[in-house]
Amino acid sequence: MRRRYPVAAIAAALAFGAGLAAVPASADTQTQGVTDREIRIGAFGPFGGPVYLYGKLVMNGVEAVFDKVNSEGGVHGRNVVLVREDDNCKPEGAIAAVKKLAYDQKVFAIIGGACSNATLASVPELEKSGIPMVVNSAVADGITDPPKKNIYTAQLTSGVESRAQIDFALAQGAKKLAVVRMTDAWAMARYNPLTAYAKEKGIEFVENLELGVDANDATPQALKLRGAGVDAVIMILYPKPGAVLIRDSLKIGSNPLWVGQTAINDFVAFEKQVGVPDALTNFVTITATAYQPGDPEVKGWTDRVKKLFPNDELSVFNMNGIGSAQVLVEALRKAGPNPTRDGFLAAMGEMDMEVDVYAGPIKCSAGKSHQCNQHPGWLALEDGKVVRLQ
Amino acid sequence: MRVLIGKRAFLFALFVLLFVIPWVANEYQTFVANLILLYVILSLGLNLLIGFAGQLALANAAMYGIGAYGTGLLMTHFGLPYWISAPGGVAIAVISGTLLALPALRLSGIYLALATLAFAQFTFWLMTHWTPVTFGAGGFIPPPIDFSPLPVTQETGIYYLSWAAALLLYVAAKHAMESPVGRAFVAIRDGEVAAQALGIDLLKYKSLAFAMSGFYAGVAGALYSGLLGFVGPESFDLLQMVLHKAAVVLGGMGSVVGSLIGGVLLTVLVEVTKEFKFSIEIAFGGLLIVFVLFQPNGVIVFVRRLLPGWTERLHYVPPDKESEEDLAAAPDPDPDAAPGPEEPTRAAAAGPRGGDPG
Amino acid sequence: MEYLSYLVATGISTGALYALVALGIVVIYKATEVVNFAHGEMFMLGGFFAFTFHVMLGWPYLPSFALAVALAFAVGVAVDRIAFRPLMQRRTLVSVLLVMIGLSFVLKGVARWIWGGKGDYLTFPPLISPEPLSFAGIMVMSQQLVVLGAACAVMIVFALFFKLTRAGRFMQATADNPKAAKLVGLRTDRVYMYTFGVGSAVAAAAAVLMAPLTLLYPDIGFMLFVKAFAAAVLGGLTSIPGAVVGGFLIGIIEQLAAGYLHTAMQEVAAFIVIMIVMIFIPTGLFGLGRIRKV
Repeated sequence: MRRRYPVAAIAAALAFGAGLAAVPASADTQTQGVTDREIRIGAFGPFGGPVYLYGKLVMNGVEAVFDKVNSEGGVHGRNVVLVREDDNCKPEGAIAAVKKLAYDQKVFAIIGGACSNATLASVPELEKSGIPMVVNSAVADGITDPPKKNIYTAQLTSGVESRAQIDFALAQGAKKLAVVRMTDAWAMARYNPLTAYAKEKGIEFVENLELGVDANDATPQALKLRGAGVDAVIMILYPKPGAVLIRDSLKIGSNPLWVGQTAINDFVAFEKQVGVPDALTNFVTITATAYQPGDPEVKGWTDRVKKLFPNDELSVFNMNGIGSAQVLVEALRKAGPNPTRDGFLAAMGEMDMEVDVYAGPIKCSAGKSHQCNQHPGWLALEDGKVVRLQ
Repeated sequence: MRVLIGKRAFLFALFVLLFVIPWVANEYQTFVANLILLYVILSLGLNLLIGFAGQLALANAAMYGIGAYGTGLLMTHFGLPYWISAPGGVAIAVISGTLLALPALRLSGIYLALATLAFAQFTFWLMTHWTPVTFGAGGFIPPPIDFSPLPVTQETGIYYLSWAAALLLYVAAKHAMESPVGRAFVAIRDGEVAAQALGIDLLKYKSLAFAMSGFYAGVAGALYSGLLGFVGPESFDLLQMVLHKAAVVLGGMGSVVGSLIGGVLLTVLVEVTKEFKFSIEIAFGGLLIVFVLFQPNGVIVFVRRLLPGWTERLHYVPPDKESEEDLAAAPDPDPDAAPGPEEPTRAAAAGPRGGDPG
Repeated sequence: MEYLSYLVATGISTGALYALVALGIVVIYKATEVVNFAHGEMFMLGGFFAFTFHVMLGWPYLPSFALAVALAFAVGVAVDRIAFRPLMQRRTLVSVLLVMIGLSFVLKGVARWIWGGKGDYLTFPPLISPEPLSFAGIMVMSQQLVVLGAACAVMIVFALFFKLTRAGRFMQATADNPKAAKLVGLRTDRVYMYTFGVGSAVAAAAAVLMAPLTLLYPDIGFMLFVKAFAAAVLGGLTSIPGAVVGGFLIGIIEQLAAGYLHTAMQEVAAFIVIMIVMIFIPTGLFGLGRIRKV
């Protein structure tokens, strides 16, 4: 009798497998995710962990746009529906998420990609599946450079920002440049193009320092910067280490030109985070968004986010989601009443539009430039008010 | 019915099912099935260390990473084929694992846990900072794996390699834990002094336990680098460590077949948690708490209670909850387990063994 | 010379933070022989509680402070009830640690869920002026002096408590030999409960004082826990003055490593200290001279 166990088990397993195989494969991927009433759009990014801001909060912004579009009758009569996937900010999570959205949830397109490494790791899978993708948070250049047929980004990429940081410092007459950076994937995606561009321009950084994302103190870094007599400091830092660095520099009486990037683009919040009065007189930063969360121009979005997510305040993370979702919806509209993947990608490929919250126009060119956001805006403090530099 | 739910039949069916999945399931399901195979290997290896040998080390995610990095980097830097790089990566993981046994000879319990945690964080730091070798925090893309002359793609090849590895390593773990090695591990777990008195060489068996778990984690890592075609440090962080712990606790500490079930359940539960858009941190932190508190022997206990033929000889069963008064009043029957005034050996809680509920 | 004195002065002032967090770890360890892996999360929660009352609800500073500390005490008691008491009866330290690890992740997730949508790094107003102060030409953040004072005060209070009060001696007796303590009629379970409460309350107090400088976010706890744990280990894990000295030493080591070796060392110095101390001097600087087999 014992001998027969495996036979029965094999039979059971094969029967189960045959059941799975009986499910027919999808007929047409071109219109996958589109029904008479709705268009399903996927999103992936972390819901938790230290970088959930770039996942969950950005998705909340996307959701706000979809809510607005749907309340106004949808896209050609179809509601846009967001299907969220958690990737844990991990490569295996992102690959699983893309596979799930493409082959299991069968969405029409994907908007998202939060963590640089995770999104980079999912690129081969995205290309293989051919599903249209609009990146809205991950900044690594490699995601869209060289251009991939079905991947566009609405976010400023790391290379654009890094070059802008150096150009800005040079335009201000800075001779001695230094860089202070974190060492995670996010920072490396910026640091590598930064050093490449510096080399191109013949610049040697007089100091090249690290600062941890959780650092509570940056006195050694501040002392080194002061000792080297730097004119401008390129900051590849999140707001916390950034605030700590500026605070500790002011403490020892040094205040060079601080050049931030989009991670520090809520100027009002950053001023509070530094916590020292008049700390930001020499601080400028790049913004991907044209407005700050408190500005009256984005009041409509503030209200809508508050309505959908009562616990949240409008943040720049939401605004990145809002901007990219407006681009996506515009492309869906242009793809016509019977959207297909190719139609959508064609619309993305000739996208040229102004978006509510982005600093510059979104301009794509199929096959040439899939990095559609090339316009960093600069923020600085003038007479106690945050202004956009021209 | 009974023939279908026996342990051997179940395992047979599980592996047959995992074997046919790439033919019948969609790409996402196949990918998840491959992750299942990796987590089975990981939880088997970790269980040997914490469940059997009783060494609470928090460096399993780091070993996993070392295996993945070792394999990928050997391919990238030296252009070695996968079938040389993978054993190389595993060897590096085994060496690092064995080195961890050194502090384990002097430390135990909480000290060991935190020393290995520091080691794990240091490894993570090294992955992000040793840029010339590891390519830094941005990770790297190892070259594609060539399975020729076999007519399979990289995905299929890695899948069946994982399948075979999981099967072999399960059988190996099962036999090892039924052998004198397993008994030595359990003796060390239940009391080092007593184990030494029995003539068990602590150096040898502790090193062996760390080396074995390093080997398992290294194999999983080598497969991981092939599965993803991308290696970056963030995959080997604290959350990864919690997932490994959760897999072991979920399945059942000190049960080989429990680890198999734990690895499968954990991976499925991660996907289910994502499906319900729930926080992974809360779900798996909570799962760890609930299981340790209410069912420290894992789901395997339920399985045993319901189904015949699932017993394992060495599975650890702690004593029933002693009431406060009993603890204070009754003289302890077992002098090894009773902490004397000089040595409150709470960790080495020993209890009546072999009282299997199944 | 100015360079070195700056590094040392800053090391002491950041070390005060580590010392204050390490104190909680040591107090709990002394009584229970458990390292509260979720201690960093107690710090985080304390800060968020105070933020909720003071910033979101607009209550005055001192009541918010007091309430945050009281709530953290309650959370500490809950940790004892959930993670420690049921398992201590089974006397399996491995299980306690696993539950603590689980708890730290749950608390992070919960904090993200409640406060995660309010911005990346939340700010909390300082107790006193944010201007830095000058000491013989060395500038120090005034808030750090507050923490320095608090660390010393808490240390003295605990040292006196353990030496002079009956409750303190109960705690010590319980730690030295729980079974004997129980046999002579000590309510050891209460001792454990209060210890967890007090440890968390200290962490919360540190958080409210330090939040203007550290900022508040769900993941603040882990790094702080690791550094404080390094401090505690350096000090011998059972010694209260040891925790404080260890805190200052870790602070200074970090500064010197970053100042003279490489700024990349700042982050990793604490891990290296833990590994070296564990392997070569497991009893730490102020330890008991022998390791308890735990």
